[in-house]
Amino acid sequence: MNIAPAHSVVRRAVLWVPDWPVVAAMAAAGMGGDAPAAVLHGRGLMAVSAAARAAGVRRGMRKRQAQRVCPELVILPHDEGRDAREFEAVAAAAERVVSGVEISRPGLLMIPANGATRFHGSEEALAEALVTGVADDAAYESCVGMADGLLAAIVAARGSALVPAGSSCDFLAPYGVGALALAAMERVQRVAVEDLVSVLVRLGLGTLGEFTALPLGDVIARFGPVGAWAHRIARGEDVSPPVLRRSEDDIAVEYVFEEPAQRVEQLALVAGFVAEQLDAALLASGVRCGRVRITARTEKGDVLERVWRTDVGVRAGAFARHMADRVRWQLEGWLSGTSTGPEPAPLVALGLTAEDVVLLGSEQAYLWGGVSGADARAHRAVERVQGLLGVEGVLSVREQGGRSPRDRVQALPWGQEGQEPRSLGHPWPGRIPDPAPATVLATSEPLAVLDAGGRSVVVDRRLGISAPPTWVRRQADPRDGRARAAHRHPSSGHVGGAEGPIWEAARPVEAWAGPWPVSERWWAEDGSRRAYVQIAMREGDGESGLAVLAAFTSGGWVLEAVYD
Amino acid sequence: MVNVVQADSSRGDRLSAARAALKGVEERLSTTRLAWDAPTLPLAECLALALPEGLRRGQVVAVTGSTSLMFALAGEASRAGSWTAVIGMPHAGVVAAAGRGVDLTRLALIPHPGIHAAAVVASCVDGMDVVLLGSRLAMSDADRRRIAARAREGGSALIVTGPWPGAHAVLDVKEMHWDGPGAGDGRLRGREMTVAIQGRSRGSVRTVTLAMDVDPQGRGLSRRAVPPDGVATAGVGDAPARPAKGAA
Repeated sequence: MNIAPAHSVVRRAVLWVPDWPVVAAMAAAGMGGDAPAAVLHGRGLMAVSAAARAAGVRRGMRKRQAQRVCPELVILPHDEGRDAREFEAVAAAAERVVSGVEISRPGLLMIPANGATRFHGSEEALAEALVTGVADDAAYESCVGMADGLLAAIVAARGSALVPAGSSCDFLAPYGVGALALAAMERVQRVAVEDLVSVLVRLGLGTLGEFTALPLGDVIARFGPVGAWAHRIARGEDVSPPVLRRSEDDIAVEYVFEEPAQRVEQLALVAGFVAEQLDAALLASGVRCGRVRITARTEKGDVLERVWRTDVGVRAGAFARHMADRVRWQLEGWLSGTSTGPEPAPLVALGLTAEDVVLLGSEQAYLWGGVSGADARAHRAVERVQGLLGVEGVLSVREQGGRSPRDRVQALPWGQEGQEPRSLGHPWPGRIPDPAPATVLATSEPLAVLDAGGRSVVVDRRLGISAPPTWVRRQADPRDGRARAAHRHPSSGHVGGAEGPIWEAARPVEAWAGPWPVSERWWAEDGSRRAYVQIAMREGDGESGLAVLAAFTSGGWVLEAVYD
Repeated sequence: MVNVVQADSSRGDRLSAARAALKGVEERLSTTRLAWDAPTLPLAECLALALPEGLRRGQVVAVTGSTSLMFALAGEASRAGSWTAVIGMPHAGVVAAAGRGVDLTRLALIPHPGIHAAAVVASCVDGMDVVLLGSRLAMSDADRRRIAARAREGGSALIVTGPWPGAHAVLDVKEMHWDGPGAGDGRLRGREMTVAIQGRSRGSVRTVTLAMDVDPQGRGLSRRAVPPDGVATAGVGDAPARPAKGAA
């Protein structure tokens, strides 16, 4: 079970800026480095400056507790975006010393040390160059440590230590098992590791040395993948090779029109030309791309931008034509006003940017050969249909978080990248419970929910229902002649009048459930307040017992979905 | 190549030998493929009663009255790696489809094919394994026949809403019974469907009861007592047994 460390260990340097979130927040707020400050996230402090720590403020304290200890403490808001943004300066400064650094998380840089050590002469010289470089260029104080393996390097950086090669395991042995959490980079992973650490402590395993003395097989049997990861990390080994910071730039091609152009034929020609140029540029630099961003600028200064996925593996010669089609569809849809975007206007420039650039030959195909035949066939079919109907004609769908059945789906034109779907993992209180309806109306249509006397059922503010629903009338298809005739008949109550919605015959209600209130986005213009009711209709008379999802909103009933 | 048959063998022996020889030639030249050799797509367990011969490639299954049943027919095949296209169904509930096993990464939705309906369906039949069609597509009967022929040739299964001339199986939902809601309490939990099935190869209409949604908490369909042999069968012979459990 022993894995030879020689295969999996990389000599690493780690550059660590202590208390990064608070240091970044103070820099962004324009405060001096010696003021007591802390960053508040959720209910506790997540980072504390050195001055505040000296005053007795600790990580994890509540806001009020911290202010009692240190009244002049400045509380700063948490902002992951700011942390990452500010850290770019540090990464850029470090990259001036060593190329190819990896940002593990804001505040922690991983640097491959082998080549750079040779260049600078010794590890001490490299560490000195890094610290000086970051202090000069980015004006932040940092610590550098070097060791074999990830955890040893991180622990070494906290003490500015240089651990000799091959002795990481001994170096780590006296540290407490709590140090394992330092190597966890994501929040989810950290939670798992902290759970593991608490179990280890309760089992009486206080130090990493005691933990690594356990046989790996037993650790895997008891703790699973997290245990295996922790065991390897604690022995001073690596789990994955370092991922270098991407140094390939995006490749961009732009065509500037001499005269603003609006005719689709003219634009299609240019689209083909620009796509060929991009293909040539990609080929010249020996790379391929995973995504292409199409940018069109109008003479009014508006920008229309879309991102398209490209199949990295299969598009050899067809790339230019493929992209030209995408450009043409995007512009056609936009100029004809069918798709959303800024107001149509003549274009002054058209640009293509290749993103997710990878070196030729380093892209990964499927494990067994290329794209499977069925996949390629299906993609070709979709492309043919897109050619017939335009780009918006074919949709790809994803499930996303939401309350009503309509909100739970994100639909995008096939092949287009959109914003991230809402998380499914979040709790969505008030979500309509499963099973999901098989017919979800694209826009809700009016519905008549009547009580036994034929009056409309009303749901009041306190979710009191005026009478149990007894009859349901759906809106009839306007092309249905019989329904129209019945509507004109005096017995329907509309003498001679054809106005108003035409209703189908009333159907008796078998059972119903609800009302369930959902009040969404009440603070915004597009807020909605509705009460949902599930109604199962009685079967018989040639009708199957359908069930519908109806909603009462702003004084009337609408049909949202049908469980058919 | 001809089997030598002894003169004294009975007539039946000679007939079977001749048939075997003919079959051997057919297989070698692959001139005809017998109907029951057509490859089938995987089908959910609860639908085995409805389509005992399975969902064949190249077949047309017409479904009336239930979109859930269409998704259930397509679901297991999609889970096993098939591509699915949904054409002319702008109101398709994608979450329900996913719940019945349709893999959304291999699902293309074409809600409004408009006047290109025939061309769009034809190209999807060529490229996709399972194609679901809505009821209001601008296609003539001649278009439908052509598409059915293409499906037979290309080996994709068509699941269509409403009537379709020459469909191999017609599934008509007669009754749907919901379990769960009361008078303002509970929620929709389980459902069972009574489906009349008419096959092109079999003359009579069979009626089976399918448990489509089964409440995961195990509150089964308890309110209506169903006789153990299911519902009355209009056809002769195969009286369906009630499914032990359905795939929800």
